[in-house]
Amino acid sequence: MRFLKLFYLLLADTGQSIWLFLTGRKKQLGGKRTMAKLILSTGNIVSGGPSIIRKPGAYRSNLELTNSLRSNFLAAQEDYATAAADDEAQDGKLHANGGVENGAAKSNGNALHVNTETGGRPPVSVWTAEEDGALYVPRIDWSEAGLQEEPLQYSITVKLFFLPSASVERRAQFAKKALDLVLKELDAPAIDLLIVSFPGMSFEGDCEWEADRHNAVQGNDEEELATWAAIEDLHRAGLAKSIGLAEFGSEKLARFLQRVQVRPSVNQINIKNCCNVPPPLTKLAKEEGIELLAHSDCIDILPEGTLRELLGQGLGGAGILADPETGAGGLKGDLAPQWVAKYTAVVRDRGVIENKGYFAGAELTEG
Amino acid sequence: MGLLALGTALDWPEAKTKAHHVRAWGIKQLLEIWNKAKVKERDAMLWGDEVEYLVVTYSKDDPKVLLSLRQADILAALAGDKDLAKEVTPPASPGGTKPKDKYPSPVFHPEFGRFMLEATPGKPWGIDFKELLHVEPDMKLRRAIAKDHMLPNEYPITLTTFPRIGSPGVFTEPHYPVSGPKLRSQFVPDEIANPHIRFPTLAANIRSRRGRKVQVNVPVFRDENTPWPWKDPTVNYDLHNWPEDDDVRNGAAPDNFIHMDAMAFGMGSCCLQITFQAKNITEGRKMYDQLSPLGPILLALTAATPIYKGFLADTDVRWNQISKAVDDRTAEELGEKPLQNDRWRIPKSRYASNSTYISEDPRLREEYLDPNLVIDPEIKQQLLDGGMDDRLATHFAHLFIRDPIVIFNEDLEVLDLSKTDHFENIQSTNWQHMRFKPPPADNNIGWRVEFRPMEIQITDFENAAFSVFMVLITRVILSFDLNFYIPITKVDENMETAHKRDAVLQEKFWFRRNLFSSRPSRGSGSGTNTPRSGGGGSRANSRPPSPVGPVEDEYKLMTVNEVINGDEEGEFPGLIPLVESYLDSVNVDVATRCQLARYLDLIRKRANGELWTAARWIREFVKGHEGYRKDSVVSEEVNKDLVGKVIEIGEREARGEGFKGLGRGVEKLLGGF
Repeated sequence: MRFLKLFYLLLADTGQSIWLFLTGRKKQLGGKRTMAKLILSTGNIVSGGPSIIRKPGAYRSNLELTNSLRSNFLAAQEDYATAAADDEAQDGKLHANGGVENGAAKSNGNALHVNTETGGRPPVSVWTAEEDGALYVPRIDWSEAGLQEEPLQYSITVKLFFLPSASVERRAQFAKKALDLVLKELDAPAIDLLIVSFPGMSFEGDCEWEADRHNAVQGNDEEELATWAAIEDLHRAGLAKSIGLAEFGSEKLARFLQRVQVRPSVNQINIKNCCNVPPPLTKLAKEEGIELLAHSDCIDILPEGTLRELLGQGLGGAGILADPETGAGGLKGDLAPQWVAKYTAVVRDRGVIENKGYFAGAELTEG
Repeated sequence: MGLLALGTALDWPEAKTKAHHVRAWGIKQLLEIWNKAKVKERDAMLWGDEVEYLVVTYSKDDPKVLLSLRQADILAALAGDKDLAKEVTPPASPGGTKPKDKYPSPVFHPEFGRFMLEATPGKPWGIDFKELLHVEPDMKLRRAIAKDHMLPNEYPITLTTFPRIGSPGVFTEPHYPVSGPKLRSQFVPDEIANPHIRFPTLAANIRSRRGRKVQVNVPVFRDENTPWPWKDPTVNYDLHNWPEDDDVRNGAAPDNFIHMDAMAFGMGSCCLQITFQAKNITEGRKMYDQLSPLGPILLALTAATPIYKGFLADTDVRWNQISKAVDDRTAEELGEKPLQNDRWRIPKSRYASNSTYISEDPRLREEYLDPNLVIDPEIKQQLLDGGMDDRLATHFAHLFIRDPIVIFNEDLEVLDLSKTDHFENIQSTNWQHMRFKPPPADNNIGWRVEFRPMEIQITDFENAAFSVFMVLITRVILSFDLNFYIPITKVDENMETAHKRDAVLQEKFWFRRNLFSSRPSRGSGSGTNTPRSGGGGSRANSRPPSPVGPVEDEYKLMTVNEVINGDEEGEFPGLIPLVESYLDSVNVDVATRCQLARYLDLIRKRANGELWTAARWIREFVKGHEGYRKDSVVSEEVNKDLVGKVIEIGEREARGEGFKGLGRGVEKLLGGF
């Protein structure tokens, strides 16, 4: 019964109910295909403890992303449950109020309740929030947004990964959403550099020439150019002072440059241990004034299976998704990760990373 | 060394009577700067390195390699070179990038030893990653410029100490007899020190205050044929020029120790020091504290000093020898006699590891501080009355237990609060392994922290690697809000451990298990966050550890390899993986990243034993030399070949030809770099 009170308190507090929203909408839509948008976030991971550590042998950023998402979910569950319990303790009157019991009882049938009691997690409603038609996992306290100094003191970089399972047509929309979230989180009017990473591209091979050759036939030029036009728009709107690419080899980059209006200022490539940049790429980048930046990100940064595990009912999962095997309740449907945005804010003249984190967008569809 | 004032330097008996005067004015000057600069904010990250050289004479045909005492002539030649006066064209960095324009020429400074030079970059470095790659070519440029202003047979080399300094016979060019009035050393002449009045006075007053010569005793390395017990065969028990000649007859030279008796044996050592500017006083205090526990680790990792006075020592680093070489404590202060004339017992030399933490970081637990710290309570009270907080006042009241050593009579006439000379007099003769530096009187630069324990390395590649590594470590500490705190007395213990032979591989050091702060709690409704307050308090701010367990559970013994590269269990991340995480999170161009990887690789390999420290290489060089008789003696012949090899390595580096094929184990020192 304690949970019910907490739940009610939360509804009363925020004036919004994700679960009523989501279930209500499903009802409205009846048998039609329904969708739920999810916005996942890590918060600031540089101050968040060891998820920043690069473990030997497994150092790519998909691990950083999944570890930091997991620990942020856990932290939010703990924090908001504690906060709710504190509020409850402070207000003894509500305990005796039968209305509370009744009000909460309305959602008693919700599977999440069961989930909580079986999984030992606080109810999802406590630590997530519905805003602008999306479920924020976890909820974000925007009043804590912002950087310590004026935005101009920082170099802010966002790397946007378009994921393979997401629709190409909606990339413009994803980019806008991702950028909006970062700007809101950092309370900044614009970012300095927006790097886009397209699916299906890599820069790997036994030798540098080979990597460059493989790269030439990867990806999809037409789709990438179409997306780039949307990125150019963000640049023209003043939201991203410069824009860049990732994983473009010399041939692909040369083709690309002929057809864009706003040229990329950087091309980020994954250098492993060898540090041998293919000479044609070095030459092209130099001639075209494109800076080659190093990264160690994973291309497949958020596979569907990983996301399902993160949000699922299993050990270490967030308990958001229903589990048909165990019968545990929650959101149902096909889960499709759409994009991931990694952002960093570095104090320009001190080289201190003040804020680093990830947002990720996903969609659940149910036939 | 700072600027050299001129004037009438007081001899000790007189200087002693003015000590209180200098302290009183020094505190007034400190409060003046502190009040002016405590509100300084948002200074950029600027930093500088200092490289110190020995100048030796060497030629293939000459059986002797000697210390050149031509420091003054070389500095005059450098100063008189019009082409050098302002700017130089910088060489390209290994990554191929080149600063756009000419930049200020490197600056050369005198040092204590008349056979030494110090060189610093012409302007401080920033934190632009491309700029980090200019450090190594700049160091090479400095060495090349220095060489160009020397005689053809003179070379600037970066060994920490000259292996045969103080050996019987000739070891300087020109040669001078020993047993001069200032040092009264039976091993080195007074002319070994920079003739500027400050330096001989420093040496003489330390000796005079102490009441006898300094005693620098280093355990000798016991080899197969080393006689045991070993009696330093170079000690002369029959000298009767000075009262201090009695020292050795009174037991100053115990068995099994290499005995040295002058400041030059310590202050004649070359170090690699790095100074960082902090954004404000709070960040400076934090950096001071957080870098402090790293001191012994970096000392062991840069170990380069296995020979003293022509004998293999049983220690690998210079630190304690410098400590003893400037130890001005009296018998009373040392605890050898009951306190009568002196104010307190003092457990450490003025050159020693830090004794305080100075930050008001909530993670600093009372238990980390030394309960037996000696301070001057009156000075502390003056600082508190002046508005300084307890912790910083304690730090300066600790530094101010010392007497000023060199006092110029002219400076005692008028107190000039627009200067910091009296404060600096005490501050700059407290040679601790970290130094917290207030802005200068004109306040045009910020609060700085100097990291002082590292030993100079033979090549500029290595010196650049360690400098850049330390710079990156400071950024990692600030970005990830790392916590290295352990009890300060454990840092002392580590400092001792770092001296042991091959401590980098054989010893363990106390180190904090969990470097990460507890994550900030949210949803507590407290609304404590104040973005843009400027004072530094947002989600990334330091938080108190919770819950608080016993201090002893917070740290454990680790090898240098574990500290640097992480432990096998994956519990302790390691400093290099942390630096890599940092580099993964910032925009670095490919060429720069690869060069930085080269530096990290060197440090990784030194820590895991794949490569040798300079100390080990020198040891192995001696042991493998055909002229070595397994009796701990480093003969002139061995010395010459060792210095010759060091010069050869330097010439290879200057030509950019790499270090392969040099023989004599150089590949174990520098690998494939």
